[in-house]
Amino acid sequence: MIVAFGFLAGMVLVSAFGVVVSRNVVHSALFMSVSFLGVAGFFVMLNAPALAAFQVLIYVGAVTVVILFGIMFTQKPQVRRFATIINRQFWASLVVALGIGAFVAVIVSIEDWGDTKSGAGSTSVRDLGRNLLGVGQAPEIFSLLFEVASVLLLVAVVAAIVVSRRKAGAGEDSQVAERVES
Amino acid sequence: MQSVLSVLDQEPIRFFVSFGVILFLVLNLAAVLTMAERKVAGYIQLRYGPNRVGPRGLLQPLADVFKLFTKENVSPNRADMWIFLAAPIAMFIPAALAWIIIPFSPSAVVADLNVGILFFVGITSIGALGVIMAGYGSRSTFSLLGALRGAAQLISYEVPMILSLLGVVMLTGSLSLVEVVQAQGGGFWNWYFLPQLPMFFVFYIAGLAEVKRVPFDLPEGESEIVGGFMVEYSGMTWALMQAAEFASLALISAMSVTLFLGGWQPPIEALDLGNFNWAWFGLKTALITFTFQWIRWSVPRLRMDQLMNLGWKILVPLCLVWLFVTAGLMLVFPSLGQ
Repeated sequence: MIVAFGFLAGMVLVSAFGVVVSRNVVHSALFMSVSFLGVAGFFVMLNAPALAAFQVLIYVGAVTVVILFGIMFTQKPQVRRFATIINRQFWASLVVALGIGAFVAVIVSIEDWGDTKSGAGSTSVRDLGRNLLGVGQAPEIFSLLFEVASVLLLVAVVAAIVVSRRKAGAGEDSQVAERVES
Repeated sequence: MQSVLSVLDQEPIRFFVSFGVILFLVLNLAAVLTMAERKVAGYIQLRYGPNRVGPRGLLQPLADVFKLFTKENVSPNRADMWIFLAAPIAMFIPAALAWIIIPFSPSAVVADLNVGILFFVGITSIGALGVIMAGYGSRSTFSLLGALRGAAQLISYEVPMILSLLGVVMLTGSLSLVEVVQAQGGGFWNWYFLPQLPMFFVFYIAGLAEVKRVPFDLPEGESEIVGGFMVEYSGMTWALMQAAEFASLALISAMSVTLFLGGWQPPIEALDLGNFNWAWFGLKTALITFTFQWIRWSVPRLRMDQLMNLGWKILVPLCLVWLFVTAGLMLVFPSLGQ
């Protein structure tokens, strides 16, 4: 158990470090996918296989691929290769990172976790679904959070359509359309 | 003998032994399927196909493997070596790893996960990363074009594929593949391809697109972008990519058999072979694989916009409609769900 934890922690930390220091955006994105895989491994260790599968499906299989897709579509190869995008504000970012780390550490240590133990929950997907919809034993706040997340996704989808849609009179297509209409 | 077998059946040892067997099977499948592909092509085009090595060309895979092992690995000068070399591995490992959840017979499954179907979609989605890595790492124009096409195609077709699995999950009430197969016992009229025919259709087509085969081989597009993301690969790295392609072809066949065609269940009860029911599984998988190869040599390639239209405007709405139909029927007839 300790060995597996050490291996996964090392994997997550080293690749997270790689995301920050690599001089190539594509390398950063690939390092990030390795880091996500490590997090999926933590979920497996915590007896939550469904979360691990979702982590791999969404973060490794979809988010990273879309990020890489975006990088390749939007930038010229020269820009991608050199350090033009890398932020040089080392000290400011160090302060921010340490601050967030300290904040999370304080929150985690102050919170009273009661007799909660890691990996003690149900591993069945049925229970997970019931809890998310507020009909299981879990507090009903989960169903509210579930709905909020789906509204957020809907907003994102609508926003993507609005952003990508061509404004009237901007491109060639709309001129053609106007001609057809008249 | 008995004691040796019982030692091998202990948990960690059983897992590693059966995983080794699966890996062996997958690598050999890839070799055999390359030959099957050429033989099927030959017979469909009224010629013999490979027929020089061994009786009726049966030893052709061996010759191919020897050739690929001894071939030099060439890489472009400007290639991003780490990504270039890691890409075939990133394509092969998910294709091989996904096999551990396939139930070959009631007792022959490496890991009967209670999230088997989720594991399948999660692991196969990593393959898209391999395609992008190959295209970017080669630093050549054709590769990059192929990779972009591949990423767009794989991400788009994941949606109908996952939706098409939901009907089966609703009917079974479980994500474990062993339970899915067990729910289909007792004759071929109980297999899920009858009540879920549109879903089977969608899964088959989306699977075809996920393994990047004709008519969805735009990432490869040998007549327009001369091999796409794999144009710069040669020797063993190319062989690994081919192995990944054929392993995922067989994987999609095995998954459609498991989910919709009853897995190891015999077509009628009288043909039950007991412990040898894996023969039914193998037979059905081989048949589905053959239909994939048949399609490859009969259908022309789609254009990019046709591909996207088919995925988003036909397959996804069809899935959603059938999901509602299934849910409605389950509400009216509660005996459908288990």
